[in-house]
Amino acid sequence: MPAMEPDRTPQELEAWFDEFEAAAKRPLRLRVRYAFIKTYRPVLDDEPFRAFDRMADYRAWCETALPSWLGYGRV
Amino acid sequence: MAAFEYRQAEEIRDAFARRGVRYLFIGKSGAILLGFPDTTQDADLFVERGPGNGVALVAAIRELGFDLTDAQAAEIVRGKDFVQLKNGPFDLDLVFAPDGIEQFSDAWARRIEVEGFPVCHPDDIIASKAATNRVKDRESLPRLRAFRDYWARQRNS
Repeated sequence: MPAMEPDRTPQELEAWFDEFEAAAKRPLRLRVRYAFIKTYRPVLDDEPFRAFDRMADYRAWCETALPSWLGYGRV
Repeated sequence: MAAFEYRQAEEIRDAFARRGVRYLFIGKSGAILLGFPDTTQDADLFVERGPGNGVALVAAIRELGFDLTDAQAAEIVRGKDFVQLKNGPFDLDLVFAPDGIEQFSDAWARRIEVEGFPVCHPDDIIASKAATNRVKDRESLPRLRAFRDYWARQRNS
């Protein structure tokens, strides 16, 4: 197994690879069903349409308008 | 609104093919099509910027049931960097200039086809997420990189 993430334990990587193996055995239709979820995200889900001239504008909007716990702010 | 379904991914694929829209699945939705087991809410599409592609894109997403005003359609045709659609049967993000990818043509040349879905190469998905540098992406990147290595090994075996 490749050591691509030095901060990960071999056990964590092993568990991930087991998950990847299991997922690979499922048909794509089923993988999509398991993967896409829907939960309400405050602010983000409150407008039917938004457009930003530049990605930087969108990133700045995410940082100022969205609750930080959504995780859209930059590190 | 319910979660995005495989049937809707097929509808995107088929409507975009009919209209000749050049696009790629990107982000976690792209990784999921490649086999990455994780969860997400939105379908993210990297769309080639250009008037012809923009007009075809608007026609395709209207066909899918998105309720666009003429002003909104014009913004999409103009190719804003990022458009978020929640006025249709599912949530859709249109990205014309993703962070970390120089040009659409580069990503297109490296694309992976999965059951007819054009998907960004995992390296491009990772590059985009790494460049974005959001909290949620930083958390998912180690696992996504591990998946990329797994995926590459399976492809080469």
